[in-house]
Amino acid sequence: MLLSVKEASVYFGKVSGIRDVSIDVEEGQIVALIGANGAGKSTTLRAISGLKQPSSGEIWFKGERIDDLSPEEITMRGIAHVPEGRRVFPYMTVKENLEMGAFSRKDKAGIARDLEGVFRHFPRLRERLTQAAGTMSGGEQQMLAMGRALMSDPTVVLMDEPSLGLSPILCQEIAKIIKEIHAEGRTVVLVEQNARLALSLAQKGYVLETGSVVLEDDAKALLENDKVRETYLGGSD
Amino acid sequence: MDWPTFIQSISNAVILGSIYATVAVGLALAFGVMQMANFAHGEFFMAGAYVVYVFYALGGMPFPAAVISAFPVVAALGVVTERFVFRPTRGNVLAGFMATAGVAFILQVIVGQVWGVGLMRSVPTPYMGAASILGAQVSWQRLIILPSTLVMVGGLWFFLHRVKLGKALRACAQDVEAASLQGININKITALSMAISGGFAGVAGALMAPINAVTPYMGHSIIVTAFIVVIVGGMASIEGSILAAFILGFIHTFVTTLFDAVLATMAGVAFMAIILVVKPTGLLGRVRM
Repeated sequence: MLLSVKEASVYFGKVSGIRDVSIDVEEGQIVALIGANGAGKSTTLRAISGLKQPSSGEIWFKGERIDDLSPEEITMRGIAHVPEGRRVFPYMTVKENLEMGAFSRKDKAGIARDLEGVFRHFPRLRERLTQAAGTMSGGEQQMLAMGRALMSDPTVVLMDEPSLGLSPILCQEIAKIIKEIHAEGRTVVLVEQNARLALSLAQKGYVLETGSVVLEDDAKALLENDKVRETYLGGSD
Repeated sequence: MDWPTFIQSISNAVILGSIYATVAVGLALAFGVMQMANFAHGEFFMAGAYVVYVFYALGGMPFPAAVISAFPVVAALGVVTERFVFRPTRGNVLAGFMATAGVAFILQVIVGQVWGVGLMRSVPTPYMGAASILGAQVSWQRLIILPSTLVMVGGLWFFLHRVKLGKALRACAQDVEAASLQGININKITALSMAISGGFAGVAGALMAPINAVTPYMGHSIIVTAFIVVIVGGMASIEGSILAAFILGFIHTFVTTLFDAVLATMAGVAFMAIILVVKPTGLLGRVRM
């Protein structure tokens, strides 16, 4: 198993964000976490990337325990997190944002290669290289946030609501790029409120409700599941 | 106001603005990265002046070397303060205020205990004489402040915009959590920002040592102005602080020349109040580094 969350719980004060959440991600998979707002999807990703230390449970990556590491150490081990709301550096240029994505890397040739890779996925970023990131549209910022994450040449990419607030056309574009990133051999953990989009991309899915995993199955099976269809896919059509 | 007085005032204003800029840029930098208003910043300025007093006036080191050594000495002071006082209170505005104000008093008392409180320490003027600029007389001692500021502020700009580590510092000021997700070590960047912040205040104090009265309490007057400058400039904006520093330099100099120093301080505060009403984010408040 490449990445496992084992019975992790995260508390905010006395309120629990997630309770005994267990998730297994195999190398080369796209794994979707779906559920309503506040179900604990983002918190799970934040626990994996070290932004929020779990109060109990363990997180393992490449055979090592990572739940007591800092976010920067976890990033350097090969987990990139595209946070909810893009969180690009607004007063830095597109180029500088991408440069920050490769902050901890020393291999100049590799960085240049990955920069070309980012431009292949997102040709628009090459045109906007000197623009301040905060002045771009939401879709462009999402592309930049994803590009920035790819600049660390990650094994696993955690994506938090990449389609949020984007037009249906842009959602399709983002979906296509997630497929491309996956085709490059990267593992993706995808958090989405757009359950149909997420499950159509993923091989495996987890359904979260009020901080706990209530269902896990192959993505295809979840798309067929009556309860999932009713609750998350907008009726039984 | 006659012509020579006018020219004299302009040159005084520019030099005063340079000192304000050097001090305020450090304050804005630390605020940008740590979201913490450092009330001990004036004491870093004072510490820089004492470095010159000890190294140059007492120790006989050449003046330029004493000024330059104020940077690492006060930078180290900044790093130690960050590690043991600021870091434990990070994210708590009230505790941060109490802690930094506490550091200010501690530094005053320590310096007072070691070098005395009563009489001001006299630092002999290393550069005698004055340059004549368009009829105005500017002492060399003040004139060297201008190139020093240009070198420091220019160097800081280069570091923040052209060096990877400097860009990481800006990234932390813009979104600290996103910065940590890029593999940037936040504690290192915070220490770095405090080192630069302290170093700038230290050099400013060092340059002023032969001009100002060197006392343990000399930080008081500069800290009030530095905060006005940073607030007017937009808290975390380096460019805004530089702009505001020179505006304040002009206000203080001209009101002092035409009226008196008390009125000048009031005019500075009034200017801040007006800016806060008209543009609450400060002159360049939307640009965070």
